[in-house]
Amino acid sequence: MADAVIVVALLLVAGSATAAVAVRDPVRQALVLAVLGVALAVLFTVLQAPDVALSQLAVGSVLTPLLLLLTVRKVKRRGQRKGREQ
Amino acid sequence: MSPRTALLALAEILAWWAALTVLWLVLISTVDTLELAVGAGAAGAAAVAARAARRAVSGP
Amino acid sequence: MNGWTLTAALVLGGGVGATLWGVATGPLRRRVVAQNLSTALACPALLLLSQGYDRPSYVDLALVLALLGPVGTLVFARLLSGELAGDPPRAQGVTWAAAGLGAAVVLALCVAVGPGRAMAKLLVVGALLVGGNLVASRALSGGFREVSRG
Repeated sequence: MADAVIVVALLLVAGSATAAVAVRDPVRQALVLAVLGVALAVLFTVLQAPDVALSQLAVGSVLTPLLLLLTVRKVKRRGQRKGREQ
Repeated sequence: MSPRTALLALAEILAWWAALTVLWLVLISTVDTLELAVGAGAAGAAAVAARAARRAVSGP
Repeated sequence: MNGWTLTAALVLGGGVGATLWGVATGPLRRRVVAQNLSTALACPALLLLSQGYDRPSYVDLALVLALLGPVGTLVFARLLSGELAGDPPRAQGVTWAAAGLGAAVVLALCVAVGPGRAMAKLLVVGALLVGGNLVASRALSGGFREVSRG
């Protein structure tokens, strides 16, 4: 009974990680990854590791989606430019 | 820079500094002299940055 | 296990679990709203956990999440503005529900800790949580179109 929060956090991490793999479009994947980052931070908190959770929050909720979306945007623009040249 | 604008700038930075120092004191866990000194210094730097950001967004 | 951690488990399982379903399925406009809600619901859960474990320093986690959650949503709103412009998300009801939950949790914790610096910190976190959530939701539905066009 005392571990109900840990079980819930573990289920959340497992569910969001599975969803991140199952979703194929990179843009939608970035959204799922943001949720996965938050779920991981909650898991670290309930396992009494708040310092790890702090860095996970900073990296997982903002940095990873930002890098992914910027990469997708750059690849798309390059594809468009190549299509126009041909 | 005329004395009036300089006075206004000083007042704005002082207002930012006071608000940011209060925020620092609210967020730390234990209040002592060292924390107070560090907080006042950090709030001073942040106040100058906050005024610069405010001017960049909404104009002087 | 006390009432605080039990409530946190309920918020996490019910709220964040539902947003997980929302972010993994459906059209893009529902997914961005669900991502915004996941941070808005995880933050009250972290506050409840800090009270449940009796560790006031854990409030810092909720503070960071209340700051960075809306920033992450603004990243999506800015970089997906082209795809969201034709089909803007409308989520007034759930946004206000999440904001109300956050405010209720902050108020309950304020009553629990009593007046003092800890209560002021909780109020700062609550203001950041509710304000950031509302701003992020408005940005998603195209409320700042003149800014995001750049």
